Amino acid sequence: MKLNRRVFVGTGMAAATTLSAPMVHAASHGKPKVVVVGGGAGGATAARYIAKDSQGEIDVTLVEPSRSYYTCFFSNLYIGGFRELDSIEHSYGTLASEYGINVVHDWATGVDRDAKTVSLAGGASVPYDRLVLSPGIDFVEGSVDGWDLSAQNAMPHAYKGGSQTELLKAQVEAMPEGGTYVMVAPPNPYRCPPGPYERISMVAHVLKASNPTAKIIIADPKQNFSKQGLFEEGWQKYYSGMITRIGPDFGGGNVTVDPAAMTVDIDGEVIQADVVNVIPAQKAGMICDAAGLTEGNWAPVSGHTMQSRMDDNIHILGDSTNQGDMPKSGFSANSQAKVAAMAVRGALTDSRVFPAKFSNTCWSLIDTNDGVKVGATYEATDEKIAKVDGFVSQTGEDAALRQATYEESIGWYEGITSDMFG
Amino acid sequence: MTNTFGIFASVLGGAGLVLGLAYGLMSRDYRDQEVAALTDRLSQMESSRAALAAKADQAAEFEARLGDLEQALAAARDEAEAARQAAADAEIAAKERIAEPVAEDVTPANLDFGDPARGAEVFAQCQSCHQVGQGAEDRIGPHLNGIFGRRAGAHDGFNYSDDMEMMGADGLTWNRDTLDAYLENPKALVSRTRMNFAGLKDAEDRADILAYLRQFSASPQDIPEAAPTAQVPEVELAPEVLEIVGDTDYGEYLSSECKTCHQQDGSDQGIPAITQWPTEDFVVAMHAYKQEIRPHPVMQMMANRLSDEEIAALAAYFAQLE
Repeated sequence: MKLNRRVFVGTGMAAATTLSAPMVHAASHGKPKVVVVGGGAGGATAARYIAKDSQGEIDVTLVEPSRSYYTCFFSNLYIGGFRELDSIEHSYGTLASEYGINVVHDWATGVDRDAKTVSLAGGASVPYDRLVLSPGIDFVEGSVDGWDLSAQNAMPHAYKGGSQTELLKAQVEAMPEGGTYVMVAPPNPYRCPPGPYERISMVAHVLKASNPTAKIIIADPKQNFSKQGLFEEGWQKYYSGMITRIGPDFGGGNVTVDPAAMTVDIDGEVIQADVVNVIPAQKAGMICDAAGLTEGNWAPVSGHTMQSRMDDNIHILGDSTNQGDMPKSGFSANSQAKVAAMAVRGALTDSRVFPAKFSNTCWSLIDTNDGVKVGATYEATDEKIAKVDGFVSQTGEDAALRQATYEESIGWYEGITSDMFG
Repeated sequence: MTNTFGIFASVLGGAGLVLGLAYGLMSRDYRDQEVAALTDRLSQMESSRAALAAKADQAAEFEARLGDLEQALAAARDEAEAARQAAADAEIAAKERIAEPVAEDVTPANLDFGDPARGAEVFAQCQSCHQVGQGAEDRIGPHLNGIFGRRAGAHDGFNYSDDMEMMGADGLTWNRDTLDAYLENPKALVSRTRMNFAGLKDAEDRADILAYLRQFSASPQDIPEAAPTAQVPEVELAPEVLEIVGDTDYGEYLSSECKTCHQQDGSDQGIPAITQWPTEDFVVAMHAYKQEIRPHPVMQMMANRLSDEEIAALAAYFAQLE
């Protein structure tokens, strides 16, 4: 029953004809239903835009286990003492009260793609006409020898916001004088490419003030990393002699940890550590796998609409996706959510559809008032989301520009969080 | 094996051989049932514990919300008090100015004022938002003819922030001292002003600008014939580019990208507000980024891939945003 075929303006034309959808499904009994799984930068934004722009024409349900959302972005600034924890905590109250979104605090455990229902850990089954999955990341089991989730209290990852971040901050502050902090950095691709290195900067900032003889060691399986020149310049300038990075050529990818003994074996050399921050290899949030939407570790999507390559009724956003050139970041997820929201509305109501545009900018703080950024714009091709143009902060920039960049990041945080949560 | 284990367990537990044998002889099924029953009870206990935890969470949430509300109330009170104080200070300052001889107030040689010629140069950075002189009109900011002696937020036809209007209603009037304070740090004087300007830290710069601006205030007929704001336009745009009528629906979609940083309600903190600008100023600004005349790398990148129609659509959308 195809009531309406929708075409994209301009570049989306070719793909659109294969992706158009029935206007309202018979099973819907009235209003079309959208279920969004995951209330982070992708999911909260998608839910808000679909609800806001459809003006009540679409029923939106947001499934998110946590009542409080702690952003991963700016959690490093909390570790560094530049933000209070409650300044990165957000609730879903406004999405429910002002946008009429049905916020369900539960775990989505599975998807019946034929019946078009999502099953929840609490036992409920929620029907959808379109499903949006934005579950973020999970960790690849066995990616760091000796580490699994049961070791996350002894050796925190702090790569999902909230209690893990608090734990890592407390451990850094409790380090003995002259103690050792080891980070096991993740292999590509992973959430927030500059994140581990901004974290190193923030830990060094704390230790420089309270524990200046402490040491920081990074075991890194990657040859290069995001904003490398900028970070290394800053580390030399502010934290000279404190930070040692062991790259793959020196065995940085050959790591075994022992959470009971608090030791890290890097290519045969055993280090006794006081804090071990293990950031494992990553994969799509498990619901993607449970729904049969992954290929390898990630869920492939079409850039025109963020639809799963395996199911036109499901859109996938953010860190979980394999989409092409965009980095896994909150900014990217927020950008992708708006394209998906437009496509979902176009498919379920008669709203206009425009060509997909994406952008991303990642700010990082190296030390007080020394901010840097990297960003790019993207467009959808039939193969992938492809980079159009980009920029990155330069080494040797003056202090006023770096301070302006940092202040801009604070403005961005206010902007994106009100864009997500209303 | 089972027997041995049973005996061993009974000795260890001190429960006696008979019990041990009986335990040892229990069929595997029976024990499985027991394990299943225990597992059931465990999961029941776990779910009731989860329910209790959820209730505790809820209670904590209510408490937190109450705390937030109390904090917000206290903050609002503080803010109102600060605003009252600022208004009172402004009033005192205004009265002090009025008390001074009028002649001193309008004489360019007044020592409180700097060099108007240099002030004209310093004013260049204000011109993307403010016009002054013959034919000056309201743009992103209000025109500044007659600013001295004007009550804050009271110039007809310009859409001021609520805070600016409130300060004006409370008695803030622009004079040498209040303008100096505002230019030094706009948000310190009017906390949610729409003027996106970090402030002029150099006192001499401020004195020079004020000397320049006062030329257009003392008596309107003294405004020079040739508009001093006349300048080379920031970008040369063909008339047909400026005449494009923006598609606000398309602008709304495109704007979702802007709103990751620029806030919809027009508040700004580190990133400027872009709502309610005259469409021509919006179009000129975006083309200035696109042509890399304005330096910001993020904005250059964003503007670079927008067509003339898309820029017009964004300008039309943001202009009408409340």
